[in-house]
Amino acid sequence: MSLAVVGVNHRTAPLEVRERFVFAPRDAAAALSRLTAEGLAREAVLLSTCNRTELYLRLPEDGAGPEAGIRLLAEKAGYGVEQAARYLYVHEGRKSVEHLFRVVSSLDSMVLGEAQIQGQVREAYEEAAKLAVEPRVVGPVLSRLFQMALAVGARVRSETALGMGAASVPSAGIELAKKVFGSLKGKRALVLGAGEMSALMIECLTSEGVRSIVVASRTEERARELTERVGGQAISFDQVARILPEVDIVASATAAPHAVMTRELLDRALPGGPRRPLFILDIAIPRDVEPAVGELENVFLYDLDDLRQFVDDNMERRRQEIPAAERIVAEGVEEFWRWYASLDVVPLIRSLRSRAEQVRQAEVEKALRKLQHLAPADREAVEVLSRQILNKLLHRPTVRLREAATKRERIAVLEAARYLFALDGPSDQETE
Amino acid sequence: MVTTLHGLALLLYLLTAGGLARSLVGGGRGGTREGGALLAAAVLVHGAALTAYTVEFGELPLVGLAPALSVLGFLIGALLLAATLVREARPLGLVLVPLVAAMLVIGLALGVQPAGEPLAFRGLWFSLHVVLGFIGCAGLALAFAAGLLYLVQFRELKGKRFGRMFRFLPSLEALDRLGHHALVSGFPAFTLALLLGWAWTVRFQHSFVVQEADVIWGVFTWLSFVVMLLARRTGVACERRGAVASVVGFLMVVLVYVALRVSVAEGRLFL
Repeated sequence: MSLAVVGVNHRTAPLEVRERFVFAPRDAAAALSRLTAEGLAREAVLLSTCNRTELYLRLPEDGAGPEAGIRLLAEKAGYGVEQAARYLYVHEGRKSVEHLFRVVSSLDSMVLGEAQIQGQVREAYEEAAKLAVEPRVVGPVLSRLFQMALAVGARVRSETALGMGAASVPSAGIELAKKVFGSLKGKRALVLGAGEMSALMIECLTSEGVRSIVVASRTEERARELTERVGGQAISFDQVARILPEVDIVASATAAPHAVMTRELLDRALPGGPRRPLFILDIAIPRDVEPAVGELENVFLYDLDDLRQFVDDNMERRRQEIPAAERIVAEGVEEFWRWYASLDVVPLIRSLRSRAEQVRQAEVEKALRKLQHLAPADREAVEVLSRQILNKLLHRPTVRLREAATKRERIAVLEAARYLFALDGPSDQETE
Repeated sequence: MVTTLHGLALLLYLLTAGGLARSLVGGGRGGTREGGALLAAAVLVHGAALTAYTVEFGELPLVGLAPALSVLGFLIGALLLAATLVREARPLGLVLVPLVAAMLVIGLALGVQPAGEPLAFRGLWFSLHVVLGFIGCAGLALAFAAGLLYLVQFRELKGKRFGRMFRFLPSLEALDRLGHHALVSGFPAFTLALLLGWAWTVRFQHSFVVQEADVIWGVFTWLSFVVMLLARRTGVACERRGAVASVVGFLMVVLVYVALRVSVAEGRLFL
């Protein structure tokens, strides 16, 4: 009984290779069903995201390795096994558990601490678990493994700052704006420029609940093109002064070679300064907003360098959380492995108890045949006594066997138990 | 018993302050539940200390500087505890918990016991007058804390300093809202306290001496409330002006209190 993971990720393969390994949901279901139906794996889960494709396997008991998984991924990518192996990694046993726990905790992500991976792992597990095929694709082991992995991921997010702080320039802008306004719901925004960065900013602002967005461009047509695509109201630059007193947020990303928002413009539009806080994000190069604008009392101005600095600070803070996150992962791996290893001793314990019970029953029967004069209550007392003695005798060996399951000398202890209690041979009655 | 319980409350307040400082160093992460539990325990023990005072001395702890400071500290602690049900109010403790601890230290140093000379009037009206006045002062202290932290966060944002303090403190909007709520809750209570005091004096003493220190202080505090509330309502950057008014107003109220107390120390009880 062994666990393995076969996969490819952003560390082992470039994007043009990774995209060949991506499974559509229907392909994933078919691949998993095939693996279990053909007995190449007892259980399987496939995780396929833009940065990784990983196949988690509970291998068959016949001692087969994860080769079937490698073949499956190679086939998907249209590579030969040898060619695919250049990009693939394989972890077996405890290493595969550790790998999953690190993945779900976002310790293995391209952007350290990103939040999406937990949802993707959950989805992969749930998709596999709900497949209505026989044999089932997810059984008790992978079910327990993924549930524990998700719990570990949740612990990492709640007990460490690994996922805290914005990790990209647009989200840094949003986070800073929230430090001024609390929530952005109901706020009004003005976006200067009609390029791709402006479109991205509009998406970010809309997703935060900004009430209305006005897009200003050198030519109103370009602004209109953008608003038709992503929403908002289009105006031309010469209307900016009129709209400024009504907005809370300005995001500027024009390609203009000079400042488009000057101190003079603000003084004209907002004589005496803005009454409410005015948050300005200047994400253009060269800068669109004169630095003197930021000197106004109620204006919060941030340019690209400020946002990058903010992101860098956040990433550094996230990196400092790695040891704490790794500790949680290690605890999770240990807990899972203890449970998983104990599965090995369950058949042995069951066999030991069954053998002992056979002996007890035979001996009690023999004794009671000689004690025919006993009343039913007395016979029952003998039964109870024998059961109690048996339980007391077996209690300590059972506990010790469970403990030994998680230790290095596990195999030696299990073998010794088998030998001492003659669990591999015929029963005592058979011998007699 | 009264002193022991006050000492224990002080210890718990100090532990709460320590927890907040640790959370500040961690950039606002962790310790929320423990900090809340410690503050709740501190307020509870403080409440028990005031109950013990009432039982032991047979009167409410409203007369004399030490008991008054203790009650005011308790109300500030209780208001803070209620405010921390809103997560973003938690950093206010950074200012208020040390303030309450300082009040307890002064109270313990003076000895938490009734003032030697009993006041001419006691009873329900007096108790209501003092308690409402204290609730007003507690609101003032909360507004002060929110205003002070608003100014700190404003400085961090304008200076583009994204350090621990920046992360620990909530948004400007939240701090402004908390400060506003504190003033709006404290002002009616304080106004009612003044009206009760005035009505009682006219009813039972048939005169109202406006030169009395407590009357001067009460009216000054009430006017400070009015200025703080007005500062938030009009003009450019009114949130920041409101924060400045809350900080300056509170400090002025404390300063005027100290000045008046020093000037009336001989033969007249004032708080």
